[in-house]
Amino acid sequence: MADNDEELSLLETLDHLLDRGVVISGEAVISIGDVDLLYLGLNIVLANVDAIIRTANKR
Amino acid sequence: MRAVVIGAHRHRDDIDGDAVAIPLADLFLSGVEIAPQQPVSERELLLRVAGIRAQLLARATFVAIRYGFVLTNESEAMTKCGAQVDRWRRLLDEHRNEVELTLKVAAAAPLPRPNRTDFANGAGYLRALHAATQGAAIDESFRAAVDAQLVPLANDHRWIHRDNASMELALLVARERVEEVNAAGAKLKSFDVPFLLSGPWPLEVFVDDHE
Repeated sequence: MADNDEELSLLETLDHLLDRGVVISGEAVISIGDVDLLYLGLNIVLANVDAIIRTANKR
Repeated sequence: MRAVVIGAHRHRDDIDGDAVAIPLADLFLSGVEIAPQQPVSERELLLRVAGIRAQLLARATFVAIRYGFVLTNESEAMTKCGAQVDRWRRLLDEHRNEVELTLKVAAAAPLPRPNRTDFANGAGYLRALHAATQGAAIDESFRAAVDAQLVPLANDHRWIHRDNASMELALLVARERVEEVNAAGAKLKSFDVPFLLSGPWPLEVFVDDHE
């Protein structure tokens, strides 16, 4: 159970790191695991498709 | 200099330990220095940045910057973030004593995630993905309990549709009330609803005026 909690905590931490916060214009293209990563010019550095939809809806 | 940026901070003293401070007008960006050719996607780097991010939050609240933003010199900070300085300064002053907590709740009846191969084009797939995300709903009695027991402890809150299988509640909480929120969250375990209350986190959701 402790291992499960630790793994859950790590996943949540990485989720926040990769999918939250302010998106700054950039030029990096990176891929992690099997997450769908897209490069969208100067607007989004790193995002999965869910994040892109949310971003698009805010405009 | 090459650094993965972690966040925007109000004061130089808010950045310490393994993070470097990069001036941005009267604010500072925190970053983790990396070698010129080091890939940003390395697992060890991700974990290192996550750890330093938590250390920085223990010192002071900051505006979180999504992973992947890299600066190669200090002048780039102003070029790429200069337009945000006034807004970030206001947010940092306003929320200095607050952190975010996140309650992720499993949907009562998760909608199936669309399969990319079922769609002839990407636009159709994205529309279906969006519909599945917006259609996710959680148990009504659980939500009522959350609204009654957790939300009043927060200074601000937002329910967010984040994927097809869950909903998320972002709470903006005074630092001194974090334990109180965690205690209230523990009482929700009496419901037969899977959830995860996590945090504290830096300013991630409440930096966005449009959510």
